[in-house]
Amino acid sequence: MRTALAIARKELSIYFTTPWAYAVFTAMVAISSFFFMGLVQAFQQTQAWARSVGWNQLPPDMAAYRNLTDGVVVQLWGIILIITLFVAPFLSMRLFAEEKRNKTFELLMTTPVRPIELVLGKYLGGLGIISATLGLTLVFPLILSAFGASESGTVLEWPTVLLGYGGVLLWGATCMAVGMFISSLTESQMVAALLTFVVMLPWMLLRGLAQGVEEPLRSIIGYLSFDTQLQNLLRGVLDLKALVFFLSVILFSLLLTHRTVEAQRWA
Amino acid sequence: MPMIEVQHLTKRYRDRTAIDGLSFTVNEGEILGFLGPNGAGKSTTMKILTGFLPPSEGTARVAGFDVFEQPLEVKRRIGYLPETPPLYLEMTVRGYLKFVASLKRLPGRGLKAEVDRVAGLTGVTDVMDRVIQNLSKGYKQRVGIAQALLGSPPVLILDEPTEGLDPAQRAEVRALIKGLAGKHTLILSTHILPEVTMTCEKVLIINQGKIVAYDEIRQLATVHGQAEDVSLEEIFIKLTAA
Ligand SMILES: Nc1ncnc2c1ncn2[C@@H]1O[C@H](COP(=O)(O)OP(=O)(O)O)[C@@H](O)[C@H]1O
Ligand SMILES: [Mg+2]
Repeated sequence: MRTALAIARKELSIYFTTPWAYAVFTAMVAISSFFFMGLVQAFQQTQAWARSVGWNQLPPDMAAYRNLTDGVVVQLWGIILIITLFVAPFLSMRLFAEEKRNKTFELLMTTPVRPIELVLGKYLGGLGIISATLGLTLVFPLILSAFGASESGTVLEWPTVLLGYGGVLLWGATCMAVGMFISSLTESQMVAALLTFVVMLPWMLLRGLAQGVEEPLRSIIGYLSFDTQLQNLLRGVLDLKALVFFLSVILFSLLLTHRTVEAQRWA
Repeated sequence: MPMIEVQHLTKRYRDRTAIDGLSFTVNEGEILGFLGPNGAGKSTTMKILTGFLPPSEGTARVAGFDVFEQPLEVKRRIGYLPETPPLYLEMTVRGYLKFVASLKRLPGRGLKAEVDRVAGLTGVTDVMDRVIQNLSKGYKQRVGIAQALLGSPPVLILDEPTEGLDPAQRAEVRALIKGLAGKHTLILSTHILPEVTMTCEKVLIINQGKIVAYDEIRQLATVHGQAEDVSLEEIFIKLTAA
């Protein structure tokens, strides 16, 4: 386990010396700030409108705008999921591909490191960098709770906010696990990033893509869709089935990565 | 006692046979020069010995352990410099050596002293805090050798350790390797003949994946040279002419 931690530490220190990590941080903060401001503005407009005509005059789907938690944070988390889908492949791409290209994979495979330690170390490093990226977005609920106002005591419902954030982290962890597996298949980081994206995006949209399919296949496909699984978590509902679903995808990706690394011995 | 035993080792990459039925042994404390033109199969043999690639046929044992059946036991006993030094260019020399030391499971106590020891041996002490990317080719190669020496493994496998160095640097690396003699069992590959005569006692010449000569250097001259004064160079050219 000490070896896995040493590998994780090395991954993190290399992430912070590459421009990619900073590009991803910047993209995450810039894009999510942009949407955050849009959401706050829409929230204020709806509130003003509701004050002049009364909430019961507004269309029912405006009800979310009654409080900042549902009106801004939950929606923001939904947007951050999409940004994560786009930026995570740029973080996961180098995990194995770079080692193969630089021939440092030969070092890892000829020192007494077990494949399981290598895979766990790499994944821990990947989790570290995606958590750092997503950690930056916690600033938005903090801003709201510092400057926002509410009719009913507390500004934000923190349990809902944090559970949603947990869903975002789980999603980031899933993207990194799938991305790591794909990175272990190739020497090219660009191919790894692209392929990860090509796998994750349709998987995210599976439910929408399966609209025309017959039942019961449609329900099954809908169930497998990331989008379906994430919905409850984002709204602050502790959905154990979704938790199990994502943990299974992560575990399965780690197993596949392990197989790929082991397969080197049989090449 | 044989430290490395190779029997009928064959490696095929798809339809291409890189090495074909190699058999040889290296005794404890010996230095074996592994000589052959480019593409002869030197790196392939070394990759199998270090457990990076599996053989297609045959067996290889290091310190009595089969490289395929007990890879961890073998990897614990080998220091390896691949043909491309496996360096993380973003790291400092010190950070890199510490990382490799932890991959080799060297105990945390004495780790710093061990890193300083190999740095001293390979002459990289004064660049320890520089980023590897900014080092000259000679220094990069030395860091690669330092990495192999960490933990003082009984077996050292160095794939063309003097490749790409200038004559002065070559001489330094050769001197370093000579200094390792006796303490380690060593296999050293090269496609440059004088390298072998200067550092090794025994030489194994391969060509197109097959052994063409395997003997002590002194013997080689008497067996293959018709005249007394025939040079090893001529023997090498004669043996590797396909
Ligand atoms: N990964 C590979 N795939 C296919 N052929 C390879 C591979 N690696 C080496 N070869 C071939 O195997 C032969 C031996 O290569 P190598 O062991 O690198 O020789 P050397 O180190 O003596 O120069 C060469 O003909 C080379 O082209
Ligand atoms: Mg070679």
